[in-house]
Amino acid sequence: MAGPAASDKGDRPDLLTAAIFVGFGALGLWQTRVLEGGTLAQMGPGFLPRVVCVLLIVLGLVIGFAALRRDAEPIEPIKLRPVIIITLSIVAFAYAATHLGFVIASLLLVIAGSLADPGGKWRTTLLLAAGLTAFGAIVFVYGLGVQVPLWPV
Amino acid sequence: MNFVDLLMLGFSEAMTPANLGFCLLGALLGTLIGVLPGIGPTATIAVLLPITFFLPPLAGIIMLAGIYYGAQYGGSTTAILVNLPGEASAVVTTLDGYQMARQGRAGAALAVAALGSFFAGTVATFAIAVAGPTLSSFALNFGPAEYVALMVFGLLAATILASGPVLKAIGMILIGLLLGMVGTDQATGAERLTFGAVELFDGIDFIVIAIGLFGFSEIISNLERSGSEGVTVAPLTRLWPTREDFRNSWAAVLRGTGLGTLLGLLPGGGATLASFSAYSLEKKVSRHPEKFGTGVVEGVAAPEAANNAAAQSSFIPLLTLGIPSNNMMAMMLSAFMIHGITPGPSVLTNQPEIFWGLVASMWIGNLLLVVINLPMIGLWVRLLTVPYRLLYPAILLFCCIGVYSMNNRIFDVILAAGFGLLGYVFRKAKCEPGPLLLGFVLGPLLEANLRRTLLITQGDPSIFIERPISLVMLIATVVLLGLMIFPAFRKTREEAFQEEEA
Repeated sequence: MAGPAASDKGDRPDLLTAAIFVGFGALGLWQTRVLEGGTLAQMGPGFLPRVVCVLLIVLGLVIGFAALRRDAEPIEPIKLRPVIIITLSIVAFAYAATHLGFVIASLLLVIAGSLADPGGKWRTTLLLAAGLTAFGAIVFVYGLGVQVPLWPV
Repeated sequence: MNFVDLLMLGFSEAMTPANLGFCLLGALLGTLIGVLPGIGPTATIAVLLPITFFLPPLAGIIMLAGIYYGAQYGGSTTAILVNLPGEASAVVTTLDGYQMARQGRAGAALAVAALGSFFAGTVATFAIAVAGPTLSSFALNFGPAEYVALMVFGLLAATILASGPVLKAIGMILIGLLLGMVGTDQATGAERLTFGAVELFDGIDFIVIAIGLFGFSEIISNLERSGSEGVTVAPLTRLWPTREDFRNSWAAVLRGTGLGTLLGLLPGGGATLASFSAYSLEKKVSRHPEKFGTGVVEGVAAPEAANNAAAQSSFIPLLTLGIPSNNMMAMMLSAFMIHGITPGPSVLTNQPEIFWGLVASMWIGNLLLVVINLPMIGLWVRLLTVPYRLLYPAILLFCCIGVYSMNNRIFDVILAAGFGLLGYVFRKAKCEPGPLLLGFVLGPLLEANLRRTLLITQGDPSIFIERPISLVMLIATVVLLGLMIFPAFRKTREEAFQEEEA
């Protein structure tokens, strides 16, 4: 949600907050549209969710309008590198753990995850990956009995 | 059974080799993450929650509790030696603690902090032991209407006492409530807010949200902030305060302990609020307030005693009423729930060994922490030089294993990654995600009790003002909300958290 054209007005973090709140509220209302509301004595499944969603939307609008009148404040700069790399390596871990086993998944996660911080040395990263994988396999898979195959099945 | 018998029961539970081991492990882990800036107790407990599933209930809870109060000890080490708060609750300790270190009195500051924390921990442990049975027998009379009022009060009060804008915090609670409603409705069996995904029919797991919002997104935002390495550690000198230090700090420790114990009880209160308030109180009662910030020992003693006292006394509402007062306690609640124990007045009567075992372990844990922190201080200082680059892959891996181990589902891990992104957006919007967790755990309880109340009265909401306890809670809620409208009160509240932003 970008603010209006005026560049000297609009508290951007608060406008983002307003967008999140209104967005969640609207999404919730849309999802619960088929559910019964019921009465106060016999509340249906849709009663409280709708109340919460409406409150969220109202709150979002209040915050949004107040933010529009305040002086401009930018959102902190976004660095895409950590966001994308960390998220992708988590997703990769999930698939790899199920299909390729814990060892490959863990190596993948640590090596890929380390790329999120530039300036790391390859040697350190590989040693770290090997060490953490061994630790994880011993403590979690053998020790605590987490149900995950160690090797590709 | 009388008080002494119960306490003995607690000690016999806490002193079993296994429980003692987990207490030590919790205290060590707590100190470790307390010392390391960038890893907080919330994230750590989120990571370890799934593991407690594999442990006996008491052992798991003892360990998690140890992490929370252990982090209060560890946080002060970093604050004093490096001028960085290892923990949010140690922010004010940096003000005078680091100055003391620069004057060569680092050892004295550390010792005062540790001994003050130990004293506060002992007092708070007794407060739990005394207040627990009293409050819980009172809570046994609570009907659904009282619980609804209590939860509404708790949720709103939590937003006011926590730092940050109140409206945003209320919004986060509402989002938490909404997320808590995902899945099959308990009363009617209808599925809600699931987007048709079968995986969501049982609702979203607390651990998925906690790890996403606190584990993953914390890693991402820490990586965004560059220049977190290269800390300079102040030199460590003799490790015993002078007679004068003792004379100057004992009153501050007493005041900090009292204030911390009280503030820990309040919804939204906890270690951070307590340490800030204790510091401002010391400044107010001091005969030389202008010296604060230049290395006075009271400025270390009071907040350190207060944060430890509050960390422990915040267990009281959870253990006696079953209502968590801050996000740490929301985590503890779900640690109980993993084992099918619902904290509240009935635990004290049906499973006294859990309550008293935990109380006894807190005292033992505090004793262990003094030993861990004072003679072993050199080891923790060395750890400070470990760069974040080597730490975060480990945290990332533990988070992933933790989420995956719950149901062995790819879905959970991906959902947690999604919450990580959401948490990142929250940070950009300057929304503190803590209240969301509170709303999430209290949501289902609130809905069930609200339904039950209104079913009994056939839809007549006047019961909330007819029952005296419920009426008092609701009046308190209205008064708190009313206070927020007055500019004078709002200003005081902002001032209380001012030092945090500096």
